[in-house]
Amino acid sequence: MILYRIVTALFCLFVALPILWLLYAAFLPATAILQASLATWGFSLENFAALAETPIWRAMGVSLLASGLTVLGQLVIGLMAAYAIRSGAPLLGLVLVVLALPAELLMVPLYRQLQLVGLLDTLWALVLPFLASPMVIFLLLQSLRRLPWELVEAARLDGAREAVIIWRILAPLLRPELIAAGILGFAAHWNLVLYPRVMAGVGELQTVQVFLIDLLRNHPLDWGLLGAAALVATLPLLLLYLIFEKRIIEVFEASFK
Amino acid sequence: MRLPRAWWQAAPALLILLLFSLLPLLAVVRYATWDWSGLSPPTPVGLANFRRLLADAEFWQALLTTLYFALLTLPAFLWLSRAIAIAIAGLRLERFVKALLFLPGLITVGGSAIAWFLLYNPDYGLITELTGLALPWNTQPWAGLVYVALFTLWQSTGYGVLVVSAALKGIPEEVKEAARVDGANEAQVRRYIVSLLLRPTMLFLVVLGTVFAIQSYTAVFLLTRGAPFGTTRVVGYYLYEVAFERFQLGYGAALTLVIMLVTLVVAILQARLLGERR
Repeated sequence: MILYRIVTALFCLFVALPILWLLYAAFLPATAILQASLATWGFSLENFAALAETPIWRAMGVSLLASGLTVLGQLVIGLMAAYAIRSGAPLLGLVLVVLALPAELLMVPLYRQLQLVGLLDTLWALVLPFLASPMVIFLLLQSLRRLPWELVEAARLDGAREAVIIWRILAPLLRPELIAAGILGFAAHWNLVLYPRVMAGVGELQTVQVFLIDLLRNHPLDWGLLGAAALVATLPLLLLYLIFEKRIIEVFEASFK
Repeated sequence: MRLPRAWWQAAPALLILLLFSLLPLLAVVRYATWDWSGLSPPTPVGLANFRRLLADAEFWQALLTTLYFALLTLPAFLWLSRAIAIAIAGLRLERFVKALLFLPGLITVGGSAIAWFLLYNPDYGLITELTGLALPWNTQPWAGLVYVALFTLWQSTGYGVLVVSAALKGIPEEVKEAARVDGANEAQVRRYIVSLLLRPTMLFLVVLGTVFAIQSYTAVFLLTRGAPFGTTRVVGYYLYEVAFERFQLGYGAALTLVIMLVTLVVAILQARLLGERR
């Protein structure tokens, strides 16, 4: 037990270190980095000013739009699918198999198919293949399993249509779960690297990940700029996580009980 | 036969899965028989890609590297997930630790790569600056893979901790109490009761972890791009390199097929083997 606790403490340190250092590096003045001595290190916002000259804001906009649209679709399509499975549709196996074969593994055939229908280098290439997320379906299914199903049966006896049951009765009850699944889905899509690079990597549709990687390749020495860019790119997710952290972790855990 | 009305709600999800998972899955078999650069029209070449695959030393090396990578990450991932979940169970810090460990999985991956680069880079990273220690990540053949493995653990252990922690909470207190009444001490309760009841969860993590290990490439792309000397070129990254940097998409399709088969076979074998031992 003592060993476990020591390991836990060390591992927490190991996890926190890069995050803390990133926060710090973002505010380092350029001179401090040139001299590379702790004594002169200070606080400055100049990195963020330098950042304004890069296309980071457009990249953030593209990512927010693509990931936002994707998550919206994932929640709508996912809740409907979870409801169907909860009602007995034998599709859970399929969902789990697809979980093991994600879109990024299928990049070669997807590239060909998107090319054939002329969707390469469009926003749709970033959104369409991800609209049915096995993870979101799984999380929502587990949440539906925790609800008393008599509720749905009673509504059916009263003649409620399926859409009414899903969107008027279940969706409001599952608000916390929808938010949590939405944030996890958003993070998963936001964090795609190779897929957007291949399918829409040039020019206008550069996502924030593609932008960051290019920045790291082109300015490996500019710690402050890199730190600031990484921080800005992380902020949307970080804020969402800080607000909903408890809920996300509860929903995630409850799915595995 | 009429399907229940509620089942039709799965139609949109099925349509998307059909178009973007099942169709590519089938199509890749056909593309694997092509010589195709991605831009010019493809030419059918029969089984040439598969013959090339069998003789491709880089491919076999990549498979071996993937195995090493799995051996480096999986046992550590499982042990850490379990140890940390047990260590924090019921502590006041539990929520904080979980929130912290889950965080790297949500941080923008490009940002994580930058954070690690700034910290651990051997030429001008913070650790090198402070201690003068040149970390061997890009010079020693063994070290690159360790670096990628550490990054992967950094990113994903939080998920494992949450899954084990959830399972721990699912163990009824009465079961442990009964063992204590029968004279078991805490260590024995942990060893014989908790471990036994955690089995299905650990099995789940083994299978999931293996699937991710076989397909991992993002960390390699972000951190090392296969360097030094190709020692971090895992099979998932090799696929990306072949298809989208050397523009041999036909050969890439053949590789996709093999990786999919390996994933499924390994996952099924594991589920069988570990499931039987229970």
